[in-house]
Amino acid sequence: MLKHDVVIVGAGLAGLRAAVELRKKGIDAVIVSKVYPTRSHSGAAQGGVNAAFDENDSWESHFFDTVKGSDYLGDQDAIEILTSEAPANILDLQRMGVVFNRNELGGIAQRPFGGQSFPRSCYYADAVGHMMLHGLFDNVLKYKTKILYEYFVTSLVTDNGKVSGVVAYDIKTGKFEGIAAKAVLFATGGYGQVYSSNTNALINTGDGMAVSIKAGVPLMDMEFVQFHPTTLKSTGILVTEGARGEGAYLLNSLGVRFMSKYAPKAMELAPRDVVARAEQTEINEGRGVDGAILLDVRHLGKERIMERLPQIMQLSIDFEGVNPIYEPIPIRPGAHYSMGGIKTDYNGRTVLEGYYSAGESACVSVHGANRLGGNSLLDTVVFGRRAGIDIAEYLKNATESKFDELAVRKDEEAFEKLKKSSGKERHGLLKSELQEEMRADVGVFREESAMQRALDKITELKERAKNIGVDDKSKTFNTDIVEAFEFDNILLIAEIIARGAILRKESRGAHYRTDFPERNDENWLKHTLATLDGKGNIKFDFSEVAITKFKPQPRTY
Amino acid sequence: MEFKVRAYRFNPETDEKPYYKEYAIEDYPGMTVLNALIKVKSELDGTLSFRRSCRSAICGSCAMKINGISKLACKTQVGPEIEKFGMINVEPLANMPVIRDLIVDQESFFDKIKEIKPYLLGQREDDAHNSFHPLKDGEKISQPVYYKSEFQNLTGNNDTPNCILCECCYSECGGVVGNPKYLGPAALAKLYRYSEDPRDNDKNGSRLVNGSKPDGMWDCVHCQSCEEFCPKGISPVKSIVKLHERTIKNSITFSAGSKHVVSIAKSIGETGRLDEIKVAFDSGGISGLINDLPMAFGAGLKGKIPPLRLKLIKDMEDIRLAYKELDLEEK
Repeated sequence: MLKHDVVIVGAGLAGLRAAVELRKKGIDAVIVSKVYPTRSHSGAAQGGVNAAFDENDSWESHFFDTVKGSDYLGDQDAIEILTSEAPANILDLQRMGVVFNRNELGGIAQRPFGGQSFPRSCYYADAVGHMMLHGLFDNVLKYKTKILYEYFVTSLVTDNGKVSGVVAYDIKTGKFEGIAAKAVLFATGGYGQVYSSNTNALINTGDGMAVSIKAGVPLMDMEFVQFHPTTLKSTGILVTEGARGEGAYLLNSLGVRFMSKYAPKAMELAPRDVVARAEQTEINEGRGVDGAILLDVRHLGKERIMERLPQIMQLSIDFEGVNPIYEPIPIRPGAHYSMGGIKTDYNGRTVLEGYYSAGESACVSVHGANRLGGNSLLDTVVFGRRAGIDIAEYLKNATESKFDELAVRKDEEAFEKLKKSSGKERHGLLKSELQEEMRADVGVFREESAMQRALDKITELKERAKNIGVDDKSKTFNTDIVEAFEFDNILLIAEIIARGAILRKESRGAHYRTDFPERNDENWLKHTLATLDGKGNIKFDFSEVAITKFKPQPRTY
Repeated sequence: MEFKVRAYRFNPETDEKPYYKEYAIEDYPGMTVLNALIKVKSELDGTLSFRRSCRSAICGSCAMKINGISKLACKTQVGPEIEKFGMINVEPLANMPVIRDLIVDQESFFDKIKEIKPYLLGQREDDAHNSFHPLKDGEKISQPVYYKSEFQNLTGNNDTPNCILCECCYSECGGVVGNPKYLGPAALAKLYRYSEDPRDNDKNGSRLVNGSKPDGMWDCVHCQSCEEFCPKGISPVKSIVKLHERTIKNSITFSAGSKHVVSIAKSIGETGRLDEIKVAFDSGGISGLINDLPMAFGAGLKGKIPPLRLKLIKDMEDIRLAYKELDLEEK
């Protein structure tokens, strides 16, 4: 068994940022990740990271924009921290070696982003996530951090209401390992793979959230799934909102900039939920182009496209066969981001002592019902850092708790049992069925009977999942068995999303019900909390939204 | 249309040596090699092992040899490969040991990244202040001024910070083939990236000194493969050449490679000719000369003995002028 003071699970931006904070103080923190850190999905973030720097801008304006963007479901005490600490965090990244594009005055250049009333998104061409991920990774190396990579975490271990470590499966050797720790941070990212047509990496299977709820830690606001308005038609690969920030148009089959109908003031730069719904409406009403919408950047000119959007240009050529300098890019909405997640406070703490979460896996909540573009990267560094600081404080008085090695054996047995199963169901195929069902019936537009259909499908898949068999029985790099357990996780997450979405009888942010098209503050201005009962059934509870400065108003753009 | 995927297979638990296994699958327009491998794995054979993550050419997980060339499987379309090769032949990357199937052990690659100290050394004073505190109403934080020009070698489509550490260059690198301890293109490009960073405050030049040690930047064989095979359009070899220039400018000339370059420049500047014996002596010293003896002897047998005394070439004046101009350009 391994033993460290802190175990950080996940090596994307939030995990790495927390690691830097802890290692700077010389704390014994180990990073555990199912992929090598630089393969984490933070690297795919393209457009920007928000902070108010300009003298005509203010963090208070960023604060209000974020609250409004969240459709008033975000906790305002946390959003205040997010936006007021934003500038310092960006400068800190810059100090650590992250490169941002420059403006004429020698400061950090900023571009407009959806739902922001001022151009405040800092960027590095259209690859700012990549730049930040590699920059932070380099700093993790600087502080000589131990990294257990290609380890798949299967359980949280607890003792008397306190965390005592994790169980991890070493993918390289097939060996289970107990890792005891006084504090555990989950920065395990989102669950985009619940949906077909998503922008997410294949590794984004909601593992951390599934492991958490199984350990009794509630998941909050899981019904709020962001659909990104611009993902490549055939693959769902992300096309940055920065393209619209640079001035791109959205056109329907008639060549009309249809956003004038849905968001006359903000146009293409309305928040993502608004734009995604507008696109889907155009497609549903027959004004799409082969089931897609066109994103037109041609008028920006070759030079600007090459300078500001080089990755987008290359992705469009490689994955869609379209050169955006000469042709508009066919795009459609795709599952992108999980607003919900492991319930934490603004220091990353969960209800379980010593157990923290940060980044997309966590729900602080700063994004509420809809996240604004450029706020997720900010979320990872602000709350990754805060979690690191809080863990360091916590360790001063923390005592070791008992690590029950039975937990390791239990997970080991589950793996062995699956290896021995003679079941004929293939997890890869079940996954496709689930993803397609979730896209069709728990997507941009939602309605009771369709979602009930999705639940029926989930119930069927749960039954069939008992009959999964794996081809691969070996120990070395058995990705077959890892994928089978990942499927288990997305199946659980899908059910929580669907049940939460059926429960919430209103429309708010990204959760839009055609049968309840209005926001209902009287009954639904509250967070949903999902937990599992003794039999593994999902049950729901509610908690209050922190409203400090801005009373809910109608949300128009 | 049905096509064939021929995959390199090796499982250390059961196989004495690697073999190839063929799978037949249907393609569709826009299908990538990664799509094909996922289809094989989920429908036909779950034991086929490979790494993958983002499927959009930014994470670097799925690098492998596709029809003999190191590429990202997610970015490579099936169509053109079939047209050219008639099938999809997939093998693990070269220059690293195979763990299983298409998965290589990347430890040595990442160890080399760590070796070059991939982070800013020291800190510029104007950037040292810490601005963390909750902002009050109306409060702003001022930022340090860095002009665009200071980052001109770091921002742009094809520049070194865009490296995704996918190991395609490392797998194709001629230098690593000859010397497995050689740092390789990705690590050296990263070394260049940090040495170019205007915020770096490497006062004693330790970064360049370390990079000049044996197995470092002077072990590049200039085969250009790294540039040719980079899926992100970066040219590590250009960075390496710039590192060479910079070390010599900074008089970091303890390595054989740099002595070699300096000696060649000197010889041509003085006589217009290459004094091979002197260059060999300047680069490797007496022991270098002794090491070169068998080669010199072989060359002698073929009648290729360098002259012991060099005559000045006729157009020596032109050469002097050219050197002068280069000097002025420097200044």
